[in-house]
Amino acid sequence: MSTKYIYTFGLIMTVVVALVLAGFKTLTADVAARNEDIFNKRQILAAIATPMAEAGQDVDALSDEAVLELFDNQVEQTVINAEGEIIEGTMAIEVDMEQEKKKDEADRLYPLYTVNLDGSNYYIMSVRGNGLWDAIWGNIALEDDLNTVAGVSFDHAGETPGLGAEIKDNQSWKNQFEGRKIYDDAGDFVSIVVRKGGARNPEHEVDGLSGATVTADGVTKMLYTGLKAYEPFLQDIDKASGMNLK
Amino acid sequence: MAESTEIKTGVTTTQEKEPLFGKKERILITDPLLDNNPITIQVLGVCSALAVTSLVYPSLVMSVAVVFVCAFSSLFTSLLRNTIPKAVRLIVQLVIIATLVTIVNEALKALNYPIYKQLSVYIGLIITNCIVMGRLEAFAMANKPWRSFLDGLGNGLGYGLILVAVGFVRELFGKGSLFAGSPIEWKIIGPSAEYTINTMSEGLGGTLFGWYANNNLMVLPAAAMFVIAVFIWIQRAWNPKLVDAS
Amino acid sequence: MGEYINIFIKSAFIENMVLAYFLGMCSYLAVSKTLSTAFGLGMAVIFVLGITMPINWLINEYLLVSFELEFLRFIIFIAVIASTVQLVEMVVEKFSPGLYAALGIFLPLITVNCAILGGSLFMVTREYDLGESIAFGLGGGFGWFLAIIAIAAIRERIRYSNVPPALRGLGMAFLLTGLMGVAFLSLTGIDPAVFAGWSGTGE
Repeated sequence: MSTKYIYTFGLIMTVVVALVLAGFKTLTADVAARNEDIFNKRQILAAIATPMAEAGQDVDALSDEAVLELFDNQVEQTVINAEGEIIEGTMAIEVDMEQEKKKDEADRLYPLYTVNLDGSNYYIMSVRGNGLWDAIWGNIALEDDLNTVAGVSFDHAGETPGLGAEIKDNQSWKNQFEGRKIYDDAGDFVSIVVRKGGARNPEHEVDGLSGATVTADGVTKMLYTGLKAYEPFLQDIDKASGMNLK
Repeated sequence: MAESTEIKTGVTTTQEKEPLFGKKERILITDPLLDNNPITIQVLGVCSALAVTSLVYPSLVMSVAVVFVCAFSSLFTSLLRNTIPKAVRLIVQLVIIATLVTIVNEALKALNYPIYKQLSVYIGLIITNCIVMGRLEAFAMANKPWRSFLDGLGNGLGYGLILVAVGFVRELFGKGSLFAGSPIEWKIIGPSAEYTINTMSEGLGGTLFGWYANNNLMVLPAAAMFVIAVFIWIQRAWNPKLVDAS
Repeated sequence: MGEYINIFIKSAFIENMVLAYFLGMCSYLAVSKTLSTAFGLGMAVIFVLGITMPINWLINEYLLVSFELEFLRFIIFIAVIASTVQLVEMVVEKFSPGLYAALGIFLPLITVNCAILGGSLFMVTREYDLGESIAFGLGGGFGWFLAIIAIAAIRERIRYSNVPPALRGLGMAFLLTGLMGVAFLSLTGIDPAVFAGWSGTGE
């Protein structure tokens, strides 16, 4: 077989493969993008699963259309920068936390979702950090007072199933976050600590996860740095609304 | 790839008039399931996919992906076998496999986004799964399309069988559930009311199984090795002809 | 420098390619019967991982991502790996016959070693930059090298032990790999973040 044959074969193969793949990609791109959008929105809504259940809606059972509709009608999306100023013209859902984490801290953008449920507002913030193996991320919902946690949702890229992956799978562990406060009585930011061996301070701590110390510490660190980034903004709303959290 | 030359090439036939699915064809599918299993006997393709076996559902999805890629790459390679230039045949085979894997990846994104997220890089690693390429080199390059397709199908199934079996053992004993993450999730034994046998309850479950705890070793990567070793042990004790002579 | 050492340590010991992710198991099991061949293959893996990671990083960053061709990632990566291996083989053969004699026969095996493609795919999902990718490639390769020479040394010894017939060979190799995996797991206790502190840029 001549070299010319090999090159011709290679060329034809490349063209055919590229066409097949590009065609298939175009075919599935829209559905895939919609799936990704719904997947992300579900993760955000999972943070307010408890308040939603009280309002009579089961987040897990919501249809795809219902998720999109709820986001259109009841969720206000805000993007803020590191100084706590609102950036106009972008949707929070478009903020890619993975990309933001690579930027310098001063340049980062943060998404904020304000969900209106039965007249009360819930503020959902996104955080991202590192677990044992890989990235972990999550959403924290605060109640109207911008202090009490209404719920959390976490996910991970590759934590050990049954150990670190419990941050996503273990609902009763996640439920512990509800009612915890991110500010202490003096008004200082303390975040929420995942305490190995069991929570000591019921206001600001939750129990650790057995066999997953590194992941649990990752959650603690992620919550601290992640929520602290929203602090300038929280203080602004605080002043604007005339409420005094501290 | 050196080991692939040692594999028995299967039945090569020159006869033209044969039933479409006769005895020889059936052997192509059934043989790799047990007596010539890709993992436990041929030692091929142990690589990539085992990392997903801590749960049954991802193992099942992974198996379907491997069966698809294995069967169709055999088919296409066999169709092209007389035109592929020998000098670049490995690259051509890799391109065929990579194309199919990309299709699986995009399809998964469109069909079931959450499981696509969960499997992440492991779908891509099917490309370097030696079982796929091993069969192309050992069988598809020398056989007719239909038989090659069946051979690929059989080997994919044999591989999937082990994958799902490992996932079954690991999830059952590691998490006390089966098919977690899928619509037919069954929580079998565990310390809350969600499980069929509630080890914390006052009733029968707690009385009989109060001592039960999940085996955390099972969720660690190493457990996959132990489980496969036990499978090999049982299989070779059952059929001493398979014992490694060296 | 610190974060590179951090990634190197992490990928070599804590997240060992073979023992934690099962990458490259085929050649790991097939070529670990004697120590000397295992050594050769291990070196070749370090070598190829160290070269293909930065190349794939550049291609991914400046070609695939810039032109939104991510769906071609698998095919391009594997093509890069296959051609790099071929190229390396030719260059080594021409300029260093000694090295070629040591590595040569293992190089073609490496194209289908999942650790190589796996390294490149992990690099993308973890969003490493160029320097981190090189550190990850070298660390991952070193971890792979460690795992294969360890299992080869054990397998050479175990040949003289009285193993139940059904477990001989493959079964024992799986068991040993599992045990090594558990042993390496204890290295999880190392906090790699301390290495990041060396550069003064760590958190």
